[in-house]
Amino acid sequence: MIPKPQSFELSGKLKTLFGAFVAVGLITFIVGLKTGPDRAWSNFLLEYFYWLCLGLSGVFFAALQHITASYWSVTVRRVGEAFIAYLPVAVVLFVVLLFGLHHLYEWTHLNVVEHDPILSMKKGYLNVPFFVIRAILLFAVALGLGGWMIRNSIRQDKSGDPRLTLLNTKISAPFLLLFAVTFTLVAVDLMMSLAPHWFSTIFGVYCWAGLFYSGLAMMAIWVIALRKKGMLAEFVTDDHLHDLGKLMFAFLVFWGYVAFSQYMLIWYANLPEETPYMITRVSGAWKPVSTALMVVKFVIPFFLLVARPAKRRDGWLMFVAFWFLAAQWLDIYWMVFPAHFDKPVFGFMEIGMFLGFAGIFSLCVGGFLKRVSTVAVKDPWLEQCLHHHQ
Amino acid sequence: MNNKKEKGILAVFDHPNRLLAAVKKVRQAGIRKLDTFTPYAIHGLDHAAGLKRSWIPYATLILSLTGWCLGFLFQAWTSAVDWPLNVGGKPFVSWPAFIPITFESMVLIGGVSTVLILFITCGLPNRKLPALDPRFTDDRFGLFVDKNDPYFDEAKLRHLLKECDAEEIKNVA
Repeated sequence: MIPKPQSFELSGKLKTLFGAFVAVGLITFIVGLKTGPDRAWSNFLLEYFYWLCLGLSGVFFAALQHITASYWSVTVRRVGEAFIAYLPVAVVLFVVLLFGLHHLYEWTHLNVVEHDPILSMKKGYLNVPFFVIRAILLFAVALGLGGWMIRNSIRQDKSGDPRLTLLNTKISAPFLLLFAVTFTLVAVDLMMSLAPHWFSTIFGVYCWAGLFYSGLAMMAIWVIALRKKGMLAEFVTDDHLHDLGKLMFAFLVFWGYVAFSQYMLIWYANLPEETPYMITRVSGAWKPVSTALMVVKFVIPFFLLVARPAKRRDGWLMFVAFWFLAAQWLDIYWMVFPAHFDKPVFGFMEIGMFLGFAGIFSLCVGGFLKRVSTVAVKDPWLEQCLHHHQ
Repeated sequence: MNNKKEKGILAVFDHPNRLLAAVKKVRQAGIRKLDTFTPYAIHGLDHAAGLKRSWIPYATLILSLTGWCLGFLFQAWTSAVDWPLNVGGKPFVSWPAFIPITFESMVLIGGVSTVLILFITCGLPNRKLPALDPRFTDDRFGLFVDKNDPYFDEAKLRHLLKECDAEEIKNVA
């Protein structure tokens, strides 16, 4: 017997709150552009990449569940799928980002590039048109293939056709391959090319680890919030939360592993073309931030989440999920800000811009969940998912 | 679990769900001294049989952290104390270089000692244990109820197990 999911709508209070967040973000950005455009654009890039990763994470999660034919995740999958609603906004915001390229990226300064042998060699790759094309490729994969997959999932809510599940399994394979390539390209463009002389071959994986780390946390927050409101109460048991928590824990460790691999190889080889990126970050004013990143993103949450009850109590899991989101913010801050600032800066600017993007994201996801069922009600795996035990 | 002194009733089931239902009923009847035999792990069975969480994960945690510390200290001692060795002009205790081996020694000591503790606490290997029924390693599921249980009542129990669709009920002597 499959219960009927309740429909979801953001309460009027929350809508006003998120709307106010957007307004605050917009005002801080405009004021920032007048007072210190470099800091405003750095913040814009930080938030843009942060929320882009979150938008992509839901599509990635859905594809991962389809390709592995997982049944445990059927009741939480729709929440992840809803994150795609932010991606069309991300396309628009990408156009806004183009106006800030000159503030952010040294490789857009053609006079500098001309006198720099390394940058002139990289000109064939690092130029604005190709930069835009690579971003379009990612959006085409995520919204084209990924959007197709999610549309099938929503169509199944009405028709209950099991062939749609098989079709999604087929779509998810090429999607994951293309997503890996295009996301790596965009991560390299947006984050790594801030230091255009530097390179790290693990950079795409590093950013992807952060993407799934924060994406799972965001999913956990929405799922728990909906469950507390009673909308997923019959669908998401402590066992489902436990599995979500285990995935969060796994990717917490995975991030630690990748982050350390990147750092150790650069530190150990000590090659002059690789070290400057790390030297700016692990010495001087940025050293405390690097140390904090290691402790805040790996060590503390490791012990917060390692025990079994930690993953099964919804209040605690939600707290840890918010911690994850804060840690991911610090990670991207750590990637973006040392490129332009000699020492850490933090103030209303950072908070305001974060709130602005958070407002947009929440309104998009909330609006999406209002239009569709909060659970994939006719998924052939649903019955089995409801009986899921640890 | 049961040595030769233990006697009781053994019921054989052909489906894990029947076993689960039977375990719940038997526990409702007040019986606590029971054991189950299955060819694979059955979700929810430990909860139904009233098993507490094992303490072994805590032993694993402590031993892994011990392994972590030992691995780190050993490397620091060999490279900086016992025979100071300058590698690439880096400081003596350069911790990033130690992390992979520290991690491995954590996994090794944590993993191996967990298995050893499991074997010791379960009294394994023990070749004297009789195999109650070889089918429990294949496609049948067993429920054993100890005669020493204060709520043990053979006639009632046999009736109860028959109601739970036990394929076979026999005395273990």
